[in-house]
Parts: sequence; C-alpha cells; structure tokens
Amino acid sequence: MAEPKAAAGQPPAAAPSSSPPRWVRPLLRQLASVAVTLLGLMALAFFIGRMLPLDPVIAIVGEQAEKETYDMVYRQLGLDKPLWQQFLFFIRDMLSGDFGNALFTGNRVADDLKRVFPATIELATFAIMIGVGIGVPVGVLAAVYRDSPLDHSVRFIGLLGYSSPTFWLGLMGLIVFYAWLDLVGGPGRLDVSYIDMVEPVTGLLTVDALLVGEYDVFWNTLSHMILPGTILGYSSMAYISRMTRSFMLEQLGQEYVTAARVKGQSKWRVVWRHAFRNILVQLITVIALAYAFLLEGAVLTETVFAWPGFGRYLTSGILAGDMNAVLACVLIIGVIFVALNLLSDLLYRLLDPRTK
Amino acid sequence: MPPTVKAALAATLLAGAAALSPQAQAATPRDALVMAWNLDALITFDPAQIAEVNGNDIIRNVCEPLVNYDLKDVSKMVPGTAESWTTSEDGMTITFKLRDNLKFPNGRTATAQDAVWSMHRVVGLGYGNSANFTQWGFTRDKIEQQITAADDRTIVVKMDRPYPVGLMLSAMFASGSTGIMDSEIGKKEAKTVDGRYDWANPFFKTNPVCVGHYRVTRWNTNEVVILERNENYYGEKAKLRRVIIRHVPESAAQRLLLEKGDIDVARLLNTDDLRALSKNKDVEVTATTIHGFSYLAFNAQDPIFSNPKVRQAFRWMIDYQGLGSTVLEYQGTPRASLVPIGAFGALDEKEGQPFKLDLEKAKALLAEAGFPNGFTKKFIHSANSISPQIAQHVQANAAKIGVNLQLEQMADAQLFTRARAREFEVLLIGWGAGYPDADSMISRHAVNPDNRPEARLAQYPSWRSSWQDTKINEMADAARMERDTTKRIAMYHEIQKYMMDNGPMAYIYQTVRPIAVRKEIKGFAMTPFDVDYATAGK
Amino acid sequence: MSDNSSTLRGWLRAEVTTSPRHAALQRFYFGWLRLKGNPLALFGLSVLLFLIVVAILAPVIAPVGFNDQSLTRRLLPPSAEHWFGTDELGRDVFSRIVWGSRITLYISCLVAIIAAPVGLAVGTTAGYFGGWTDTVLMRVNDIFLSFPGLILALAFVAALGPGIENAVIAIALTAWPPIARLARAETLTVRSSDYIAAVRIQGASPARIILKHIVPMCIPSVVVRITLNMAGIILTAAGLGFLGLGAQPPLPEWGAMLSTGRQSMLQAWWLAAIPGLAILTTSLAFNLFGDGLRDVLDPRSE
Repeated sequence: MAEPKAAAGQPPAAAPSSSPPRWVRPLLRQLASVAVTLLGLMALAFFIGRMLPLDPVIAIVGEQAEKETYDMVYRQLGLDKPLWQQFLFFIRDMLSGDFGNALFTGNRVADDLKRVFPATIELATFAIMIGVGIGVPVGVLAAVYRDSPLDHSVRFIGLLGYSSPTFWLGLMGLIVFYAWLDLVGGPGRLDVSYIDMVEPVTGLLTVDALLVGEYDVFWNTLSHMILPGTILGYSSMAYISRMTRSFMLEQLGQEYVTAARVKGQSKWRVVWRHAFRNILVQLITVIALAYAFLLEGAVLTETVFAWPGFGRYLTSGILAGDMNAVLACVLIIGVIFVALNLLSDLLYRLLDPRTK
Repeated sequence: MPPTVKAALAATLLAGAAALSPQAQAATPRDALVMAWNLDALITFDPAQIAEVNGNDIIRNVCEPLVNYDLKDVSKMVPGTAESWTTSEDGMTITFKLRDNLKFPNGRTATAQDAVWSMHRVVGLGYGNSANFTQWGFTRDKIEQQITAADDRTIVVKMDRPYPVGLMLSAMFASGSTGIMDSEIGKKEAKTVDGRYDWANPFFKTNPVCVGHYRVTRWNTNEVVILERNENYYGEKAKLRRVIIRHVPESAAQRLLLEKGDIDVARLLNTDDLRALSKNKDVEVTATTIHGFSYLAFNAQDPIFSNPKVRQAFRWMIDYQGLGSTVLEYQGTPRASLVPIGAFGALDEKEGQPFKLDLEKAKALLAEAGFPNGFTKKFIHSANSISPQIAQHVQANAAKIGVNLQLEQMADAQLFTRARAREFEVLLIGWGAGYPDADSMISRHAVNPDNRPEARLAQYPSWRSSWQDTKINEMADAARMERDTTKRIAMYHEIQKYMMDNGPMAYIYQTVRPIAVRKEIKGFAMTPFDVDYATAGK
Repeated sequence: MSDNSSTLRGWLRAEVTTSPRHAALQRFYFGWLRLKGNPLALFGLSVLLFLIVVAILAPVIAPVGFNDQSLTRRLLPPSAEHWFGTDELGRDVFSRIVWGSRITLYISCLVAIIAAPVGLAVGTTAGYFGGWTDTVLMRVNDIFLSFPGLILALAFVAALGPGIENAVIAIALTAWPPIARLARAETLTVRSSDYIAAVRIQGASPARIILKHIVPMCIPSVVVRITLNMAGIILTAAGLGFLGLGAQPPLPEWGAMLSTGRQSMLQAWWLAAIPGLAILTTSLAFNLFGDGLRDVLDPRSE
C-alpha cells in the first residue's frame, strides 16, 4: 500500500475573530466547498465513464447481435443524446441514488453494491483490528524506546509493509498456508459446502453465522478471512504504527511529560494516561483514513483471493467496461474520502485543545 | 489496560483459534454436483438473450429444446420436448408433435402455445439468438404467421425455402432458443417500456421458468449459481438434487479445490494444472473437442492485409505442431480449416491442417507481396486463458522475419467491441459454431452479404474483417440448399480449401473443452454441444 | 584546526562559507554525513544504484533476450543454467527480470518527470496569484486527492487503454496533487518576501517571477517529495501490470510477469515468487532511502 496522502481538507484557517457563531461561517464555507468538490467528482467520474473504450451495448445484446437490436439498445441507454444532456441525466440519477443497471451483472448497481459492500467491510474490519491492535501499541513502544533496536526493527517492519505488493503477499500466502500447509481456507468467503446455510441479515457472514448459532460457518468464514485480512492488516499496521510513533514523540517531548515525571508519576502512567490520551483525536483520524484506504488495498487483494467484495466488483466493472458500475464505485469512493476529510477537520475543530 | 491493547489481544486470540480450528470436511454434499467455473461473463438466464458459452452450457440443462443431439453422436437427432416431427412433401412445412406430459417446474402443463410464444419472443426480443431463426427466413414481422400452434400439442413451422430438414433440425430446433417457457407467467410479467414490449425479459433474466431437468433457484452474480432438480420433469429425473456452480476464476484455485475434494468438477483449468491432475488417481480429466475456434483475423481494409499473400504468410508463421504438443495440450487441436472436425462436411484432419512452421516460405510470400523487409502492425488479443501465450508465440515468430507485431491484451468485452467496430489490424479471437454442420461456420465466416461499413453486419466475422467474395456467397448458398449429401460435402470441401488460401482468417486451433471430474461422480455425459448435468450421479 | 582547511574535507567543514556555492555544497556534505550514519538508508541507496547499473548493462548481464522462446524448455525450475527458471513459453526468467528493471525505472522516472512540472506549475500559480485562481486550482486538486492512487490510476488507464505510456500518464495524474499542494505552501512563504517584491517593482511579469524566482525555491523540496513517493509509484505500476493494464506482453514488466506466473504458480512457484521479490526489493530500497532522506532534510524529526 502506498503511504496515504495527507488529509485533503485544508488545515483549519485561523478562525475569524468575530461574534458568537464564529465557527458557523467557516463551516458553511467548508460545506460549500465540499459541494463543489462533489460536483467535480461527478464530472470526473462521468468523463472517465465516457472514455472507456468499450461498448456497453454489446454487453447487453451479445457479441453476435444484429444491427437493429444494437441500435435499439443504444437508444435505450440514451447514448444517442448529446453529451451535456447525458451528464445532466447522470447527475439527476446520482442525486436520486439511482445508479442504473450494471451491465456485466445484469442487476441494479445499488443492489450489487448492497451485496458486495458487506464482504469488503467484513474483511476491512478484520484488517483494521489487526492494524490497530498491533500498530498502536508497537508505535507507542517505538516512541518510548526511541532509537533502540526495538524502534529500528519496528521502523523496518513498517517500511517493509509499505513496500510489499499486497497481491504478491496474497499469492505467496495462498501457496504456503493454503496449498502447502493447509492451515487456512482458500479463495472465496466460504467453503462450498457451507454456501447458502445462513440467510444474510447483515451481510457480514461471521455476524450472521453467530446470530443463528452456526458455529461451523463462523469458523469457516474466519479461516477464509484470516489470510487476506492479515495481509491487508499488515499494510494498515505499517501506517498506524508509524503515525502513532510520530504523534507520541511529539507528546513525549512536551514539558508536561517531564513535569509529571518530576512529580514522581511512573513512566508508563505518564505514557498512557497523559501522552497517549492527548494523541487520541489525531489517532482516530488516522485510523479512519487507514480504514478507508483498505478500500484501495482491497482492489488487488480481493482479486487474488476471489473475495466477492467491492474491490473485485470495481475491477470486474472496469475490465468489462461497465460504465454504470464504475461510475457508481468511483463516486462512492470519492464521497467516502471527502466525508472523511470533512469529518477529520470537524474533529480537530471540536476536540483538539489547541484550536479552542 | 487501554481498549486498543485489549482489542489487539482479542484479535490475536481469534487469529490463532481460526488457524487451529478443524477444517471443513473435505467432501461435497451427497445429493449435489459441485462445479467450479468462471461466471464472469454470465449476465442473464433468459434463453433468448444468453450469448456466451458458460450461460449456454447451464441453460441447456434448464431449458430443453424441441429436439436434442444424440449424446453419443451429434449428427443424429433424438426427440427433445417434441416426440416426433414430419415434413410436408414440398419441404416447406415442418410439423412437431409435443410430448403429452410436459410440465414446468411449477406443475403447470406446457403446451404448444407456450412453445410457440417462446419462439416468437426470441425473434421479438431480437438478441443475438434471434439469428437462429432469422437466418432461415423468419422475420419479426411475419413470425406469428410462420410458427403457429395447431392445437395444444402441435407446432406448425412454415419456411420460405425448402431447406434440408436435417440441417434445420440441428441448426434451429436443437438450439436453446426453442426451449419452452411458461407463457402464462411471461405474459403476466411482461411490460411495455418506452413503447417496446419487453417479453418479460427482466423477469426471466434471473428466473427462467422452462421445461428442463433443472430450475435456477439462486444466482449471486460472480459468486454462485444453484440449480434444483425439476421434480415435474417428464422423463427420467436428474440423479442429483442440486447443482452448485461456484465462481472460481483461477485455474490454480480450482485445482486445489478439486484435489481437496471441495468441488466435484473443475471447468477452468490451464494446461499445466490439467497435466498435473491427469496423474491424480482421484480425478479424471476429459477433453472434448468442441465446435469452436481460436483464430487470427486480419482487417482487409488495411493496405497490407488486403493482400492474400500476406495473410497466407502468417499461416506459415504458426508452429502448429509445437503448440499442439505444449501450450495446446488439453486446450485445442491445431486446425487451419474453418469447419470443425466432427461437423458435417469438414475436411479430414490432414487436409484441414496443411500448414507447418516454415519461416522461409513465409518470408518468400511476404517478398512476393512486396514486403521483403516486413512491416509493423498492432495485434490485439484477450487476456484470458492461453490467448497471451498464443499471441506471444506468433509475435516471436513474426519478429524473426521482420514483421513487428505490437501486442495489446484486453478484456474480452473490449476485444469484442474492437472487432465489431472493425477497429483492429490483427486480432486473436474465438468463435463457437452453433450446430454441427459446415454451414454454421461458412454462413458467418465466409459469407458476407454486404461489405459496406454502414451495413454494420457485425455478427459476420467476414464483415468485421472487411472481406467479401461474391463467388463464395453463391457457393455457400448453393451448398446450403443442396439435398444430395455427397454433392453437398464436395461443395463444402471446395469452399474450405478456397478459404485456407484466400480467407481473412488464419485459424489456429479447434477448441477443446477440458473437464476434470472427481472419480466419485459417475455417468457424467457430455458432447461437443451439451454437458448433461442430469446424468451425473454419486 | 587550520591545517585541515587546505583539504577538501576541511573546506567542506569550514565554519565560515565563502560563497553561495560553498554553502550549498556544505549543506549537501553535512546531509551526506548524516545519511551515512543511517545504515538502512545507505542500504537502500546502494540497492538503487545496483538497480540502475543492472538496467544500463542489461544487454551484458542478461544471458538471453527477454522474448527468446523455446516451447520445449517450458516451466523449468531454477538451475545453474536458468538461475530463476523458465516461464510458460520457455523464456529465461533471470533475463526477463534483468530487462524488466529497465521498464520499472523507465516508468518511475517518467512519472516523476511529468508529475513534478505539472504539480509545480499548478502549485506555484495557485500560491502566487491567490484568490479565485487559488480556490479553483485547489478545488481541482482536492478532487484528485479524494481518491486512493491505485483506484484513480485504474480508472484512468481503463479509459485511456492499457500500455506503458498510458500507465505512466495515469499514474502521473495521481502523483501531481501532493506536489502541487507542497509547491503552493512553499510559494505562500516566499510570495510576500521583500526579495519577490523587489523583483516585482522592477517590472517583471508574473510568469517570469514564478519561473525564475519561485520555482527554483521549490525544487529541492519537490525532489525529496518525489523520491518519497517513488515506492508508491512503483507499486501502483506493478498493480496495473498485475491487472493486465500496464506494460503489454511480451515486455517483461514485473507486475505483468507476476500476473501470468500466477496461472502456473502451483507447479512453478518461481514464476510468482521472483518478480514479486524484485518489486519488493526495489520499492523497499526507495522507501529506505527516502526515509533516510526525510530524516536528513526534515528538521522536525531531529
């Protein structure tokens, strides 16, 4: 995974020194700029969709279809209308939540997304649990024992995480742990004999299985999830531990830490009670961002593990030249990231003591 | 302990437990056939719309045609949903008699009215499958007069020319397009959208109600398809209650699943995995030569490829023997003639494959054509299966005699788009013949009724290659109407030889359909046109 | 230590610099000293240098060409003759890896060469003019930034069509926004300086001011930033290749090799393992080096 880019939202400008609702105006301005960004997103998505060098009509009528049928479907899809009109229709549809039909699956895109998103969420949640569970404590330790061998190895392992092609780790993992050692489940979310045993409620197989008490299904899902989840988790761990370390270093260098130590508080009490508590807001933002970036990691990991989630849906859509599916996915990712950035800005504004 | 550390511990514990937990029983359910396949291209189960191989394979087990190919010899026709048929003396009318105990899975009796409505709907919808009718003179305007129901069990088909009945049966009435759909449900679900009658296509897309061994009960796109046995089937019912088809788009993964017994049948395996599996005592590998081709198509609009000598040179650049014993093992049989082995009128194996790797000869042909120093062209091909290997093989040979081919691989959908729009110089692509008669390939690959760009006859590969030969058009039509079998065969031989010298395609191999099946599965029958799930038992 | 002043080292360490060039060289020298103290960064640097040498000398190092096929020698395991084995068309994998280093370097350098000027131009223009220009340009920037790199590149390359050149363009389109942001921030700090004001009073046009006076100030930090992003660029390129949207066969791009190798990975593990290791090593080298570079140049981490 590439190192996630900095938050897209601007760092909050110094608040203008006027009357009571002094945070209202920047907020409104921010919302307006988000609206403009979203419009731009749609334009970009639309542009990409129209540039796809594939013919959506063929996906529907089949490769051996005749001219009349072809022309009919062409008109049905509105492809004969001028481009600006198509764009207006597109915006109207998007705003009303209608993403149209996915040509390569034959279903409504909205239905497809409802089906594939839980698979990715489940995987990403598993991964972020690993990322946070290991990344945060390790990052804190690395900061406390700065420049020790521990710090260096954490750093190296982190860099290794940044540098590994996730798809390759996935393939190697499959060869070693599935094909050779037979320790984990193979590609897919479930063994075939468990398919259809649990009715989807949340769409998260582990949760659904526990809800009805099908423990076999639960363990089977978990055995399929552990490899892709760990690999994705490794990349978020690399990012989270690194950010934790640098946030902690900043805190540990502050005077209050020295002061607390002088007052006789124990080292670990200072680290966890004071320093760590102070980085929580920043950390939550980072974790949220890492969670969203798992969507990117998912594109390749899901391809390798035949995981029927969002990432594979997007790649199949792109490879099949499916405008509607690709547009919807691209737009959703854009919206998620814009929302996250907005959220992190707000969090800073509301919680960070320094902006008060 | 801070919450994060707790979470970390929990995650580690979970992870360890999962790794140690007992694995699933390495066996598939006793009453189900579990098959791994690539379901990427599957977008519909409406028999009027299905245009790809995998969907067709499945639907033929769900929707039975009026007549069937004999499972042992596809040149023989046996009753399907029709128990008998007669031809009028002038050869212009065929009358089918349906079986008297046809039932849909929902219990309703299937009648000739259902059958006729189903055929009208194929033509009315006008998807690629409508060609099964339109190429024999049936049209959207007249179909309701041309195919009618005389009573509940009698279908009367009036043709505009006296086509040979054998050809009609195998080409039209054995196609999935003659499956009987439930017209009562169809008429109820059908809507008129934007002034167009949709024949219940949106409904049948996921839920085809049809006479056949199985019915579709679940379809999760790119995940799984589940078929349940039709308990109301007229004849001997399917041996296994369910067929589970799982989307596994990777050969290596399919092989592992099969070796571990997690699946019974693997349908997408590459040469090396098949070779390994053929040594496995629990698995049987069957390779059926089917009626499809992989071929190079040249665009005759291109000033260089318009020269038949250049196209001929390419046939000498293909190492048919080398490929045959390596890359093509379990995947294809080298063949240069456009009519597949096993079809009526095909040249025999030797005559149908007169070429071998001979770069000197290829170079001489290029020199004769006026390109002694070669040229540079773009070569597009699919990213799937062995296409990249074949393309790189041709590319490397061509490079040795100065022909520089720039490869670009793409998804099938994109390749089809480019081919249909005539936007290519050379491409490597596949084609499946619809019925076991030379007419099937020749009527599309050799015949080109109208070569003008605006005709947009993209369903004709000959048109895609901008290639037309009026002599061939006439010969093909004469052969189609010829009732003397010996003469008809001779005419097809002549066309094939002509095409091998002049045609716009260089055929590389006839497709083989490899299937690896675990030995627990007994009696699984297949032909070049059918994989009969109902015959498989455990 | 006056006796040292005559040596080069002494000159570089001199407490009083004698010219701007002297000062610059001295900064560079001290930076180098600090980098030298970081073994991981040094390791990264040497791997990169090694890679460059391999790429330049590919025709000498590789035993055969990258597309020399031999159908009779398919899928041979690593041996003395074929160090990394052979692939599905009987090509020597070692030779393909060696030739492939050229493609990896070519892609990453070209992306840098395209993305840096674009980012610089957008960032400095936005920063210098401010107001509406700034708002519009930064909005556009935000739109691009709101996508993960690989997904945006994937979408672009799907629209442009596969191939090395299009992959480069697609990746460059995702690589310029962070640079623009950086250049804008740098511009904002120098825009109101007396020095720029003086140039402006002399009647220099905005284009001239940006090009001659602002851009040079931004270049060092942009170069560092690009180096740091290099690993990401390489991984994105490999990911595109893996999905079949990058370099086209028969070119030995590592990601594409991995993708074809995956098909036979059970009987020929080396086809998947080795290209992946090559990608990992290169991107790790860039990360180690970039990390060291950041320590040297980013005073905050000191």
